[in-house]
Amino acid sequence: MRRTFVVGGRVVRQLLRNPRFLVLSVAAPLVIVYLLKIFFDTLPPTFDVARYAVPVAAFLVHFLAFLLCAIALVQERTAGTMERMFINGFRRTEIIAGYVLGFLGLATFQAVAGLTEAIWLFELDYDEETLAMLFVVVWLLAIASVMLGIFISTFARHEGQVFPFVPLIILPSVFLSGLLVDVDELPTWADWLGHAFPLFWANDVIQDVIESGWTFDDVQGSLAILVGYSIVLLLLASLTLREVE
Amino acid sequence: MNAIEISGLTKRYGRVEALGGVDLSVRRGEVFGLVGPNGAGKTTLIKALVGALRPSDGEVWVMGLNPLKDRAELRQKIGYMPQGPALYEDLSARGNVGFFGAAHRTPDLRKKVDEVMIFADLSERANDPVHTFSGGMKRRVSLACALVHRPEVIFLDEPTAAVDPQLRSRFWKTFRELAREGTTLFISTHLMDEAMLCDRIAILRQGRIIANDTPRAILEMGKTHLVVEREGAEEEEETIGGHPEDLAAALRPYGLHPGVTAVDVETDSLEAVVLSLIEREEVG
Repeated sequence: MRRTFVVGGRVVRQLLRNPRFLVLSVAAPLVIVYLLKIFFDTLPPTFDVARYAVPVAAFLVHFLAFLLCAIALVQERTAGTMERMFINGFRRTEIIAGYVLGFLGLATFQAVAGLTEAIWLFELDYDEETLAMLFVVVWLLAIASVMLGIFISTFARHEGQVFPFVPLIILPSVFLSGLLVDVDELPTWADWLGHAFPLFWANDVIQDVIESGWTFDDVQGSLAILVGYSIVLLLLASLTLREVE
Repeated sequence: MNAIEISGLTKRYGRVEALGGVDLSVRRGEVFGLVGPNGAGKTTLIKALVGALRPSDGEVWVMGLNPLKDRAELRQKIGYMPQGPALYEDLSARGNVGFFGAAHRTPDLRKKVDEVMIFADLSERANDPVHTFSGGMKRRVSLACALVHRPEVIFLDEPTAAVDPQLRSRFWKTFRELAREGTTLFISTHLMDEAMLCDRIAILRQGRIIANDTPRAILEMGKTHLVVEREGAEEEEETIGGHPEDLAAALRPYGLHPGVTAVDVETDSLEAVVLSLIEREEVG
């Protein structure tokens, strides 16, 4: 446990020492949400902005948290620091949990900033409970994205090998998770495939809570799956991260 | 008990055999050099010793512990300096050393980090990010990371590669100080002048040990070339064994004869001996 905090503390220190990385990872979703606002402004007033604004902000957090975490871990491998950590006695569960802790701060910041901007720019009017739930779901999605990044990083030998996973995992989730179209309109197999992406479950909660009159019972199933998704990915990453050649 | 015991260590990657039945033992407090050309298997051997690599066959014991089965206990006792810097470039020298030191149950870690910073002559730049350092300074930070928890055995994989002669000499002074305090050092190198500074060396070629002795004893496996000049006569050339007794025996017939005007003695360097051993292996 102590070593988990040591790794987490080191990841945070590295992030803080790299302001360019930090600013880009928070500024990029903010800029994209703003561009989305300009784009949505050109659409007819009947267009349901609320249906897309928060899910798109959630997707941006998902994408960046996945990519940044995966790249950071692959860099550990290419720089030789991952091997050095193992030889010095850090265990893989400690390294993974430390990374989750370290990136949790960044993911939280991204979730708060992205959501706040989307709600402010699109003038969305939600009660406190809805806002809290939206934050919780984006935050859980960010954690699942960090886990996904850790898991995918175990298959990449260098940073470049992370990028093929973007069209393989991240982009299909945009089309199949109900972000753009209702999943009921997709072929059955595509609908089922969509269920495999964490964005599907996050979007499910978001669509439920932006409708008025939601209760916790309506969303608890999807929230539980999102949490389960993170746990399964954590276990898979612990199995695939190799300590010994 | 020896610090390191290796018996029949073999590592295969598919059809490629990186190590082929290595047997070796290293005594406690010894500076042991693993000498060999690039690709000989030096890094593979060190990785097997520090538990970063699972052998295909054979056994390895470090301080009486198995690097894979007794991983937790062993890692407290060993230090490892890899060939590359393997440092966090965004962090300071102190940040790097403190991080790797915190992996171990190191009492008074802060004090030990300060001490190792002084030892590696990094105190003045301790809080600067590593990416602002020269290659030599990064090597010093890397060495400090390997030493901070006061390990009993230190594995150094080509520690002085791409290091200037001044820093190399300082590194070796440090290694000797550590050995005097009882630390065992296992150093891989392809530099023969460095090999001469070790208590014992093993020569590794294509994953096999072809010689294992003191540098002096290996040097004596070479040849000595004598050129004797006499007044009014042609130069006489003779090639004898590399042992000092061979030289004495060869010079005896010449005595202090006034006709002998010069004796040129050229002894094979360690590099020449190692090359001839390698050639002999290739032919044999």
